Amino acid sequence: MTLQDHIGAQHAATPGRHYVWDPLVRLFHWALVGAFAFEAVLSDPESKLHQNVGFVVLGLVLARVLWGLIGTRHARFSDFPPSPAAAIGQLEDMARGRRRIHLGHSPLGALMIYNLLATLIAIGVTGYAMTTLTFWGAEWLEELHEGLVGWAEISVVAHIAAVFVESRRLRINLPRAMVTGYKQIDPQDRV
Amino acid sequence: MTILRTIAATALLMGFAGMGMASEKVDPATSAAVTEKLTAEGYDVRSVQMEDGMIEVYAIKDGAKLEIYLNDAYEIVKVKNED
Repeated sequence: MTLQDHIGAQHAATPGRHYVWDPLVRLFHWALVGAFAFEAVLSDPESKLHQNVGFVVLGLVLARVLWGLIGTRHARFSDFPPSPAAAIGQLEDMARGRRRIHLGHSPLGALMIYNLLATLIAIGVTGYAMTTLTFWGAEWLEELHEGLVGWAEISVVAHIAAVFVESRRLRINLPRAMVTGYKQIDPQDRV
Repeated sequence: MTILRTIAATALLMGFAGMGMASEKVDPATSAAVTEKLTAEGYDVRSVQMEDGMIEVYAIKDGAKLEIYLNDAYEIVKVKNED
């Protein structure tokens, strides 16, 4: 039992209450929400501020990747390996209304995370390249950058939809868990 | 209902953002004329587009990354230096 698990166990006195998301995971998630929304919706794409916040997004993603290697139990990539078979299993559960609880990230959630991390890195790299002497004014790069942003936006909408659908199916308030760090699971449900 | 509203609002917001993002295409004749004029003045012209009704040119001069805005008479109205 690690120190974090120990603290988690102490906090989880209520039946079915599990500590899953450490402060860094939650901070990363909501900082990314803010930074991405600013970049995609509010900022002037040609401004210095847009470039600087873009670096912040890249920094957040790289920190998350590092945390995926050395972080707490459910923050680690090894806790949610990409698995198409498991993802199909989860889709079958959803179709049949069957409930199987994943304490950490679900298989579909895992795929979404890898998709978003990779897309955000690609957006950051193409965005930075657009500011270099070599690629200054390269329209194909601008179109690629914007296309990737479009894909990220579709992914974000799908992510939010899936979180609500899964919260209802599993009877777990998933958005709240990303705020408090705790998943409140029906004590009748096996984990 | 909260669910649908949140999703719809997110999609809508991003849709609006997307509309403002795309810079418009410029017709080939204008593009060629602007490129020829600026090249003669020593600019390395990378791209000619339209932005907010003005011709917007991405160009390099003396190693500086420039955004040059021109009016319909191809006169330089504004130069933004990226560095």
